[in-house]
Amino acid sequence: MPRPGFVLEVDERTPPLIVHEGEGYRMQRFPLGTRVVYPPDPLPGLRDLSGRIGRALLEPTGDAKPLPELLFAGMKLTIAVDDISVPLPPMQLPDVRQRVLEQVIELAARAGVDDLEIVIATALHRRMTPEEIRRMVGERVYRSFWPDRLYNFDAEDKDGLAYIGQTDMDEDVEIMKRAAESDLIVYVNINLVAMDGGHKSVAIGLASYKSLRHHHNVHTMLDSKSYMDPRPGHSAINDSTIRMGRLLAANGVKVFQIETTLNSRTFPSQLGFLNEREWEWSVKDQGLMMAAKKANDLAPPRVRREFYRRIEGSYQVTGVHAGEVEAVHERTLANLHRQQLVEVEGQADVLVMGIPYLGPYNVNSILNPILVHCLGLGYLFNMYRNVPLVREGGVAILYHPVPWEFHTIHHPSYVDFFEEVLADTTEPKEIEERYEERYATDPWYAHLYRTSNAYHGVHPFYMWYWGAHGRDHCGSVIFVGGEPKTVARLGYRRADSLRDALEMAKDTVGSTPKITYFHAPPIMIADVR
Amino acid sequence: MSARDELKEMARGFRWGRRPLVPRSAEPFMEEREDEGFPTDWARSPAGVFARQAILQGFMHPLVKGELSLRVYGLDRLRDVRGPVIFYSNHSSHLDATLIMCTLPDRFQRTTAVGAARDYFFDVWWRQAFTALVYAAFPIDRGKGGQGAIDKARELVRDGWSIVVFPEGTRSSDGHLQRFRHGAARLALELEVPCVPIAIVGAFQAMPKGKWWPRRGRPVVTLRYGDAIEAVPGETHRSLSVRMQDAVAELFDEDRTSWWDAIGRADRGETPSLAGPAGSPWRRTWEGTRPVARRGEPKAWS
Repeated sequence: MPRPGFVLEVDERTPPLIVHEGEGYRMQRFPLGTRVVYPPDPLPGLRDLSGRIGRALLEPTGDAKPLPELLFAGMKLTIAVDDISVPLPPMQLPDVRQRVLEQVIELAARAGVDDLEIVIATALHRRMTPEEIRRMVGERVYRSFWPDRLYNFDAEDKDGLAYIGQTDMDEDVEIMKRAAESDLIVYVNINLVAMDGGHKSVAIGLASYKSLRHHHNVHTMLDSKSYMDPRPGHSAINDSTIRMGRLLAANGVKVFQIETTLNSRTFPSQLGFLNEREWEWSVKDQGLMMAAKKANDLAPPRVRREFYRRIEGSYQVTGVHAGEVEAVHERTLANLHRQQLVEVEGQADVLVMGIPYLGPYNVNSILNPILVHCLGLGYLFNMYRNVPLVREGGVAILYHPVPWEFHTIHHPSYVDFFEEVLADTTEPKEIEERYEERYATDPWYAHLYRTSNAYHGVHPFYMWYWGAHGRDHCGSVIFVGGEPKTVARLGYRRADSLRDALEMAKDTVGSTPKITYFHAPPIMIADVR
Repeated sequence: MSARDELKEMARGFRWGRRPLVPRSAEPFMEEREDEGFPTDWARSPAGVFARQAILQGFMHPLVKGELSLRVYGLDRLRDVRGPVIFYSNHSSHLDATLIMCTLPDRFQRTTAVGAARDYFFDVWWRQAFTALVYAAFPIDRGKGGQGAIDKARELVRDGWSIVVFPEGTRSSDGHLQRFRHGAARLALELEVPCVPIAIVGAFQAMPKGKWWPRRGRPVVTLRYGDAIEAVPGETHRSLSVRMQDAVAELFDEDRTSWWDAIGRADRGETPSLAGPAGSPWRRTWEGTRPVARRGEPKAWS
């Protein structure tokens, strides 16, 4: 039985703790009494993964027939797959999506299905490159279907979208036409965090801006407390996608959902110390950590980035569930919580988070300042249930160098957002009202999104909104080690060290604040009581 | 932070060269790990024996004699003892194992191994290596039944090695004898080997628990070897354990008075107890720390 997550209280025996800061990490001594939230140990992986996938397809969950009974000759079948934004980092091969896809396609072939297409459910994310797709789906699938029957979703292809209708909250639902007209959509998912999967898969993954703007907006984001708590009433964005998903079902869009969960073996064995608790490091782990840190500190930026780009998580699959969307997702969440939930007693005055090198939107790319904001205050801050780890008006201290750096192919609209919008204002509501529409409908951004590998023009807005709740909740945000002018552009403050940051936080939380350090990655969800 | 400062921080935080500690709040979450342990067999190879005797005779024994006024009695009682045997003694100082290993006759010194606490002597690599080399030591898990240690001891005795054990299990914190645990007696019964009692007098005063070097002034420490004890047919481990404890008490009595007086008192069942005075704990410590008289040496002042 793997050990549960727990909250460490720093005492004089506690060694320095590792804190991620972009493409690097530091060993940080924390003040005595600091609480440190540690994730549970990795759950054991499924022994017979192929068998488990097969059983999930033949014995589906909820009110769904076995997949072979849903497949027939002459049908139109669309298989949608989660894109490269999960898992983080990409998993060691074979990718579980490949394992699932191969079994689904095998069943379709036996049933005589000819009209089969596979779409990468990118929504407004960048198109994945052929190499990235090949890696994800495997050689056999790639060779059989690329490029005509295996492709990225295009949310700007007006002819390729179908308007389904409005929910009872007047939300427009528009998704990929081919999917809407298919006899069956099989969705193959990896559920990395609690907000993934469920109705979000189709209702967001295959949706257009017209549909997405109803929940990817400041009002909904501020009302999502938290994104990682999909219970009704806790996450406005999740409630919205459920409404949309149910509307799709009511309009005859038939989805056979396949969800998979992974354990928390985030880093490969060579960097195994990053998966371990510091006081359990062997001499070898300590030596490895120091050698890796020194090499990392001395390496030229390009070499360092390449090193991090090549990291593959040694994940193991802990669950495969298939069938009716909501029933499947319920089981998936139970599985996910088994791996990620940690009970934490009470809120802190100061929340410390190390921002790692990778988020969902910079795989094979650069974590630019807007994505740093999103990863820190959007993702890590929201990794809670019930109430945030830090009290309202408390201080968030984040570690990241926040370089003024962008990937101009992947994030062209981010550059302009940073230079034009944030130079003007950092207020999410104002940004939404004054700038969003223009960026979302800009033909150049749309062109780059459709033909290059660029995120949609509106994507940086969503990233900014994503951190709106965290930004609104905290009285102050301080970046340790952040580049001064970049941090200032984001509207935050910076410090050279934790000691300085705590000194700066005194004005807000006093001289003896309660401090909590959220020791992620690996990913976890704090169940704050 | 410079590389040097980082290194210092790591050394301090991770207690390099010292026993690693677990944060208190993390202790309930520590998992029992299968500890394959530090290999010690190499220390009992011919090369290991050669190196150990060189260290013990060429370095440790002269050092001990330089720091202590060491007196050793009763080695003649080992003359007719054929190995392997179990050497055992009272235990109040880290000096004990060193004193025994340094003073054993050559034929025993070559083939004697010390049972040492795993949690103390086998925690960091340099202490493990030192303990294995100098004491031919094998690890004992304190308070866990120690099946692994018993198996190892059994294997050693069958290979012709004598072993040194401290039946009290841990060093006395006040200098007085603690209750003997029965492991040594069980082992002696099972392997049918004699037990040789040793009384170590003055080690607590010279280097009590918490000290890592003998106090200044060459304090007197006496080692007194006793006659080997053999189990009688049908004897239980409890009875043998009591006899072993009595033998040590008799050696203390002999050291305090004379052999003749001691055997007389033992015969009458009047050997003074080594448990220390009753009453408040401070009394035991007070008595235990009473300096050992330098008998036989001229006094500087009279």
